[in-house]
Formats: sequence, C-alpha cells, structure tokens
Amino acid sequence: MTQETLAPHAVERLKGLRSQGSHEGIFTSDLSVNEFVMIRKAEFEPLGLVVGSCIYHMGIQYGSWNQNMEMDVLSQAMYQARELAMSRMDQEAILLQADGVVGVRLEVKRMEWDPDILEFMAIGTAIAHRTGAEGFKGVGGKPFTSDLSGQDFWMLLQAGYRPMEMVMGSCVYHVAHQGILRSMGNIGRNTELEQFTQAMYDARELAMERMQREAADAQADGITGVQLHEGSHNWKPHVIEFFAVGTAVKAMNDADARIDALAPQLVLPVND
Amino acid sequence: MSLWSKFQKGIQDVAGDLEKVVSNAAAQVSAVAAVPDPKAQARAEEWNRALGERRLPFFVQERLRQTAAGHLPWIQSGPVAALLMERSHGIHPLGMVGGNCWYHFGYSWTQGHYDGWHQAIDRLRQEAVALGANAVVNVDMRVRRGQEEDMDYALLGTAVRVQDLPPSPEPAVATVSSLEFVRLLEDGVVPVGIAIGAEYDWYQPWVGTMLDQASMQAPFAAQYWNMEVADLSSFQENVRRRALYNLQQDGRRLGAAVLAHTQYAQLFRVADGQGQGERFLYRHIAIGTAISYQPAHVPHHELLPTYSLGRRLHPHRPHAKDLL
Repeated sequence: MTQETLAPHAVERLKGLRSQGSHEGIFTSDLSVNEFVMIRKAEFEPLGLVVGSCIYHMGIQYGSWNQNMEMDVLSQAMYQARELAMSRMDQEAILLQADGVVGVRLEVKRMEWDPDILEFMAIGTAIAHRTGAEGFKGVGGKPFTSDLSGQDFWMLLQAGYRPMEMVMGSCVYHVAHQGILRSMGNIGRNTELEQFTQAMYDARELAMERMQREAADAQADGITGVQLHEGSHNWKPHVIEFFAVGTAVKAMNDADARIDALAPQLVLPVND
Repeated sequence: MSLWSKFQKGIQDVAGDLEKVVSNAAAQVSAVAAVPDPKAQARAEEWNRALGERRLPFFVQERLRQTAAGHLPWIQSGPVAALLMERSHGIHPLGMVGGNCWYHFGYSWTQGHYDGWHQAIDRLRQEAVALGANAVVNVDMRVRRGQEEDMDYALLGTAVRVQDLPPSPEPAVATVSSLEFVRLLEDGVVPVGIAIGAEYDWYQPWVGTMLDQASMQAPFAAQYWNMEVADLSSFQENVRRRALYNLQQDGRRLGAAVLAHTQYAQLFRVADGQGQGERFLYRHIAIGTAISYQPAHVPHHELLPTYSLGRRLHPHRPHAKDLL
C-alpha cells in the first residue's frame, strides 16, 4: 500500500490536520466498522442513530393457580410499550428522511425501585440509498425497520429481498400449577406432564401467530432471522413471556436473477 | 439502629481509627529511616512537572526518540497475522503507546468520564507524536475502579507509520485492529479518534410522577392499570438526546462521523428525604470510533460470499450441558 493506492482523502487525513476533515458524512450510529462498510457496499449511507424509549407501568394481573391461561393484561402491556418505543424511533427516522432503519435492538430493563415499572428502548441506525433510488421504503411509504445487521442487510439485498418491517409477537402466559393429588399420583412414574407441555405449546403458538399476522398485514412474503425469546420480567415463577421477533421481507422484481448470480463458495478453514 | 448496635459500631469505629493511626505512624517511621533513591525521586519529580505542563517526561521522550530512530526494537501489540498484513501493506509498527488519567469525581460522575477519557487520549497522542506516527491502531480502552469516587482511564495501542507519509502532527487514534485499519484505508475510510458524549440531569416531580398522580386519583385501581409513565419517559429522552448530540459534536470536532460501540444509561430514584422530595437522576454515556470518509468515495473492494464449514460459524450448536 502506498500513497498512490490510498484514497486521496485518506492520505490527507493521515498527513494529519483536523481542519482537513470532511464536514460531509458526519453522523452517529451504533454500527460496527464492518457493518458500516457493508451498508455502504449495499449502496446505502448511514444518516444517524435513531432511538425511541418508553417507561411503562405494568398493570397487575393474577393467574388462576391451577389453570393454563394467557395473562392478557401483561401481554398487552409488553406489546404496547414496545410499540410506543418503536414508533418513537420511527418518527426520528422519518425526520431524517430515511429509507429505513437497520440493526434495531429492542431492550427491556427493570427499574430497581418498582418491580412493576419497565423501561423499553428501541435503537437502530437510519439509512438512505446513496443515489436516492426508490422502492426501498416499508409499509405505507414509511421507513422500513429491521433487526438485521449490516452484513445481513447486504446479503438480503443480494438474495433479492428487501426488508419491510420488524415484526413481533408477544404472549405472557401463566403455566398452571399441578394439584397435590396429581403430583402424588406421579411419584415413581415416568410420564409426560401434559398440562406443562400444552402451556409451552400454546404460549409459543400465540406469539408466532401474532408475529405472522403482523407480517401478513405488512404484505410481506416471509419473515427472516426470527428469534424466539423466553423471559420473565420479575414476575411470579409460573409466568413467562414468549417473544417472537424477526424481519418481514418482500421479494424484489428481479429476485430470481439476483439469487442465480449469487453463488456462495464453501470454504473449510484449516485453523478452526 | 438500636442503642446496643450504635454502641457496638462506636467501639468498632474507634478500633478502626486506632489501627489506622498505628499503621500511619509505622509508615512515617520507615519513611524517615529509608534513604530516598535520588534517581527515583528525580524521576517522580519529572513526572509531576511533565503532567502539569501537559508534556511527556524527558526520559520517555528519549526512549520514544530512540525507538523511532531504530536504535531500540519496535513493539507491536497485535497477532503475527497482523504483522504480515502490515508488512505487505506498507504499515510499519513503531511502538506501543499509552495514556492514562486517574480521575476523581467531584460534582459529576458523567462529566468525569468525558474529561478522564479526553485527557487519556491526549496523552496517548503525545506519545504517538513523539514516535513520528501517522496513527495508533488496536487502541484498547480500560478502566480501573478506585476505592471511592475515582477511576483510572487507561488506553494502550500500537503507533504505526504508513510508508512514504511524513509524521502527522495529530495522529489518528483507532480502536480497530491494524488489519481492519488497512482495509478501511483502502476504502477511503480513516478511523481518526475516539468520540465521547455524556450528559446527566435531575428531575424532581413536585406533585409526583404521572403514576403517583394516577394512584392519588384512584388509590385502589391504579396499580392494576397499564400506563406509560410519560413524564419519566420524556425526561429520559431529553437527557439521552443531549448526550447523543454531544457525541455528534465531539465527532464534528474531529471532522468525523461516529460509530458508537458503547452506550451506557442508568436511571436512579432518590427517595424523599432531608427536606428534598423524591428525585430522579438519569445519566447517559456514549463512546464511539470517529471515522472520516467522503460519501462520494464508494468502497471498491470486491466481496466474495463464502459459507464457512468451520465450527465458529455454528453458534447454535448446543452444548451437552444445555441438553442434559
């Protein structure tokens, strides 16, 4: 590498005066360096960090001791609070005239002083197409949202898909306790605990159904990078949240041609 | 606290004080008995002067000068693979450089982080300038927590020279490895420094938060309601926006964009007491790598998609301990 092979801008910067820094392209983001390069490789430019948050009081709901049931007050709260945080993040992206937001993270934090208050935060990087090409916006002409990393975003476009919306489904579920007689009856037997199996099934199913419904509303073809989180936000031991989240995607017109052009090469590292 | 526990605590405090008095006296006696090494004393005095005058001590300057001139061996902190890449790409390691600042928080922990890091970065840069470097790569950021309200901010990295370039008056400071540094340079992106944005504020709701107000209006029902505590949300959002604005301004000072790799936020509640009502403290700190690039300069590296059959790319492979 010599001066000739380096970009003139890089040489000037390394020779070193701050005043020679560009005043174009000044943004903040939480992308990694690799993600930043890949976003640019995909012909997009980062515009800025967008954040939305919400401090939320969860209503109290008691589950029936010996009954499997959805805790709908808590489900609604988890959903609404996340939705508020996401919509505030979207507003920032709209102000930046972004095509979309990538690398979205949804975080939930418990407040130490009150177990019923949770903090929800949505954070991501707003991006726009370098040449202003159209056709990348999400549902209803709003910026798309996606929890894909910069690398995944590049790969998604190469595969002929574009992100539409980050979709999610949440279900807070109370798993019934076993009665004493039932527990006594199981002593010394290997047997399935059908009530517990059913609770896990039902809770997961409800979360997946809701996520899929959101994607259908967004007129997406599919959902990629889905993660299913199971968690308890300081609730009673038999109360659990199933939270499904992923990026709804839609095939672009030339998807088939693109995917044919992309032939990933298999490599086998010899030092791994 | 009962009378007995107060009494017991009093005895423990007196015993603790006595122990300190004895150990202090012993230290003073041994200090008088030991003859100070004049060299060590001169060295300590020179450190004192140099830190006060915002320069490097003479003996550090001399070692760096000798290293830069090739009279002392060069030092590189990365792996051997990085050395190979550096050699093939015309990057020469010069030496390891560091900067640190042990900082006491008087009025603000948040502002202390901003000042402490900046002081440490300036000192790191001084060493890099003394070596005639163009950049410091592989910069590692660490803190050591003190006993009380204090913390040491420490930076360590490898100063490098790019072939055919003259030494820089303000070398770039990059948290990326030299391998990434090279790749970024070829794409016209220069990691130039570390940017920090920090902000904190207090909020005192005189008639209680919106949740408290709801509880007053509906004493039994409010706890069952789902509701946003909107005043706390907007207070927090306001402070966070200011912190991120500060981060952007710090990047602007370097003429650069910021990739904020570290974000830290905390909301505290301080209970009613000492004549003050219930209060909330929110602090937000964002730290990032400042990068300078021109949007018009499009990256030209060709990418070859590969799918690795190596083990590391199978993060979902379960461990026996998770299954059994």
